[in-house]
Amino acid sequence: MSAETAGPETLGSLSNEPEHQDPNSQQAKEISGKSPLRIALGRLARDKVAVLCALVVLFFIICAVFAGPISKLFGVSLDTGLASEYVDGLNNGLPKPEMGPPNGPFTWDHPMGVAPRTGQDNLAYWLYGCRVSLTIATSAAIFASTVGVVIGLVSGFLGGAVDKVLSFFIDMFLTIPFLLAALTLAPILNERFNTSDNYSTIQKISLICVLAVFGWMGTARLIRGEVLSLREREFVQAARVMGMPTSRILFKELLPNLAAPIIISISLMLPAFVALEAGLAFLGIGVTDGVSWGQMILDAATPVYFRDYPQYLWQPMVGVVALVLSLNLLGDAIRDALDPKTRR
Amino acid sequence: MKRNKPLALVAGAALLTLAACGGGSSDNGNGDGGTDRKIGAQEGGSKDAERQGPAPEVDGAAAGGTITVYLPGDPGPDSLDPTGGWSVTGNSIQQALTSRSLTQYSRDENGQPVLVPDLATDLGTPNDDYTEWTFTIRDDATWEDGKPVTAEEVAFGICRSLDSEAFPSGPGTEYSKTYFAGAADYKGPYTGKDPNCEKYDGISVDGQDITIKMEKPFPDMDYWGAFMAMGPAPLGNASKPPNYGTKPLSNGPYKVDSYKPNEELVLVKNDQWSADSDPARHQYADEFVFKFNQDQAKVDEIMLSDNSDSQTAVSTGLGSGNYNDANAQLGDRLVQQTSQCVSTLTPDYTKITDINVRKALAYAYPYEDVWISGGEVPGVTRDYANSIMPPGMAGKKDFFVDGEQIKYDPEKSKELLAEAGYGDKPYPITMVYYEVDPLAKDAQDQITKGFEAGGFSVKAIPVQESPYNIWLDPDNKVNKKLNLRGVNWCSDWPAGSTMLPPLLKTDAVYNTAFFSESSVDDEMDNIATLPLEDQAGAWGDLDEKIMTDYFPIIPTAFRNDLFVFGSKIGNPTGDGSIGAPNYKDLYVMQ
Repeated sequence: MSAETAGPETLGSLSNEPEHQDPNSQQAKEISGKSPLRIALGRLARDKVAVLCALVVLFFIICAVFAGPISKLFGVSLDTGLASEYVDGLNNGLPKPEMGPPNGPFTWDHPMGVAPRTGQDNLAYWLYGCRVSLTIATSAAIFASTVGVVIGLVSGFLGGAVDKVLSFFIDMFLTIPFLLAALTLAPILNERFNTSDNYSTIQKISLICVLAVFGWMGTARLIRGEVLSLREREFVQAARVMGMPTSRILFKELLPNLAAPIIISISLMLPAFVALEAGLAFLGIGVTDGVSWGQMILDAATPVYFRDYPQYLWQPMVGVVALVLSLNLLGDAIRDALDPKTRR
Repeated sequence: MKRNKPLALVAGAALLTLAACGGGSSDNGNGDGGTDRKIGAQEGGSKDAERQGPAPEVDGAAAGGTITVYLPGDPGPDSLDPTGGWSVTGNSIQQALTSRSLTQYSRDENGQPVLVPDLATDLGTPNDDYTEWTFTIRDDATWEDGKPVTAEEVAFGICRSLDSEAFPSGPGTEYSKTYFAGAADYKGPYTGKDPNCEKYDGISVDGQDITIKMEKPFPDMDYWGAFMAMGPAPLGNASKPPNYGTKPLSNGPYKVDSYKPNEELVLVKNDQWSADSDPARHQYADEFVFKFNQDQAKVDEIMLSDNSDSQTAVSTGLGSGNYNDANAQLGDRLVQQTSQCVSTLTPDYTKITDINVRKALAYAYPYEDVWISGGEVPGVTRDYANSIMPPGMAGKKDFFVDGEQIKYDPEKSKELLAEAGYGDKPYPITMVYYEVDPLAKDAQDQITKGFEAGGFSVKAIPVQESPYNIWLDPDNKVNKKLNLRGVNWCSDWPAGSTMLPPLLKTDAVYNTAFFSESSVDDEMDNIATLPLEDQAGAWGDLDEKIMTDYFPIIPTAFRNDLFVFGSKIGNPTGDGSIGAPNYKDLYVMQ
């Protein structure tokens, strides 16, 4: 059977390629004044899912940035008194009735209830957990993509021995199993820093480093591939011929053309890091001071509490799931907007 | 005796508990599913030298069936070698079912453990000053291969306990090495290249009689004889460690069928064991299956479901979150057992030198809040402690250091600090907590809050290894910074000699307070020379004297265990001598 080659007719019908337009038409004039990013933003704004996800993400960002004021508004805080003031030790450590669910009615003193066993206020911990989650994920994403972009640029543009060496490092880091490395590093970092007064800050910084160190390779590969094709383009050749320094070619000529893949990789890295942060905290090798969604899930994930007090587990779960899902969908939408030729 | 289990479960001040083997009782609950379980009163210290086999039948007991024992969060013993066993889990299983020793405990009708003979025909005969003990070995006990257990084999087994290099964590390092004559110079059968123990003359065999010479008076030798380390071992290479630990030769009612360390131990009936030779053990079930390292939540669900699997099962733990359900649903099949243990905080005696500061710590410790956030049930699995000696120990006195039980009272703590001259700024406390366990972290948060309200400032250092590794390592850089540590300690038998000296004698390994007073040391040495009947009272007096005069150690709780028995397990009881289910008397209802 002879393979049907895609003729010009089929290509045309399947392609989203704008049809050839009259440069003097109304439509063309509208587009002509806009940068590619503006056009992409316009496409994004027309995508209902993207808008919804952006709103959800915005909500979480507001929660994270204004965790303090919002807590104050509700009159809750991370500082809790002694456990016995809030929970009943003889009733499975569940909150006392006056503290709200599951044994009492809703109360504005603790809008999301208090935690069994410790009496910590769930709303305050949820808000600050959101802050921790987003701070760590964002910093790690920025860190990882910066490293990834620089290495990808250099390795793709310079080629030769530099490319070989850098590609080797990319491959090497890809072979290291992330979880195993994180499990190994946690006790080492603890041993080194546990007497420090800023232990919890150091813990978060090292978590950011660990996430970034094991997260830059994808971006680096992507950028390297893009650069390999870009560097043979006429404008780069022209810049070279004109004697521009390499750094200028890299950052003034190539980088702006890579905006789309960089934005895409960051927007897909964020949800991955949010999920990883929660996962590591759940395993007890991430944030260990309790202010983290992962740690809240760890505390709540026993059959007893889930049966008697399900909202205790749902609260952090909904946080993680909603944030990761909307970041993911938003990332997809951004990719579609920036790169309309990709078909799904 | 080491307590393996609580590593993950028992949070708070300390995680591993050493020692447990002593008199005690259990309160079998109220049967009506009420919630007012209380720690049972204990008498402890009773003996019956005349008891002979066979053990009296348990009412209604039937033969047959398989008993499955779940051990949540408990990795179990690493080796089954009787000489190396010094953990609550391993000893409770092996001493009850597979490995006999000179003496043993039997549970009487009131739930009290009674020391009765085992391989010996009585409880041993000491000379006047307890420096020489003679045990007569019975001639009708047999190994699982049908050969008789000889006095030479018992003597060899006892001699093995002197090898502290082959069995570094065995109980012999604490007792045989300390008390047996010339033990300090003898390296043991394996390290000393003396495979038949011929070079050691502290133990002599004459016919069926074994005579052990002591370096110093050892009135508790009969209790020490209840450890499986004081039992027989096949002569020569047959019992060479570490291989012997994977499949020791059994001489009890059950023998090892298969053993996967930290996973599973299957014991089956030993048909060579004769009931007539054994005053306290039974052989009702066909098989015992011990499942180690179980998930607490999973086991709780299994036990509460009462399905066909769980009806013949036993669990050695209950999640505190399930306590109410279990208490209402199970009635007397939920057994509360005192574990003869005390949890303590140990302020560094060399750094916190003022007794008022140590007392202030005791008043600033939020006892109930720590228990609740550490997953314990106040008044049930943990209760207020007034002394170092646990309830039920012979000679324990119900004294109170300040006239009444010390409870959380931050104002009183501040007053005491002011009295000691630290009223103007917070007194700094440095301690560690086990970061990996969220329960330990939550409990530490409560301690920090309580201490801060009481006028202290707390620096809590998170560690990712067992706090004992920190506390017991003198060169550890973290340990050098600490001025507050902790120990959970259980008695090895119901005598003050297994509680006070290990915790408070100068240079004792577990004296993490570094308490050192020569008058107290002298008094401890002195008590050992008193007539036996006066010793119990003397330990109780010393306990009160130490606590009143020095308050070197803050007892934070007496500890209880909860056991869950399936609905077809007969005679659901705990073993007061060791803090474990009473394996000897269990049966499956037919």
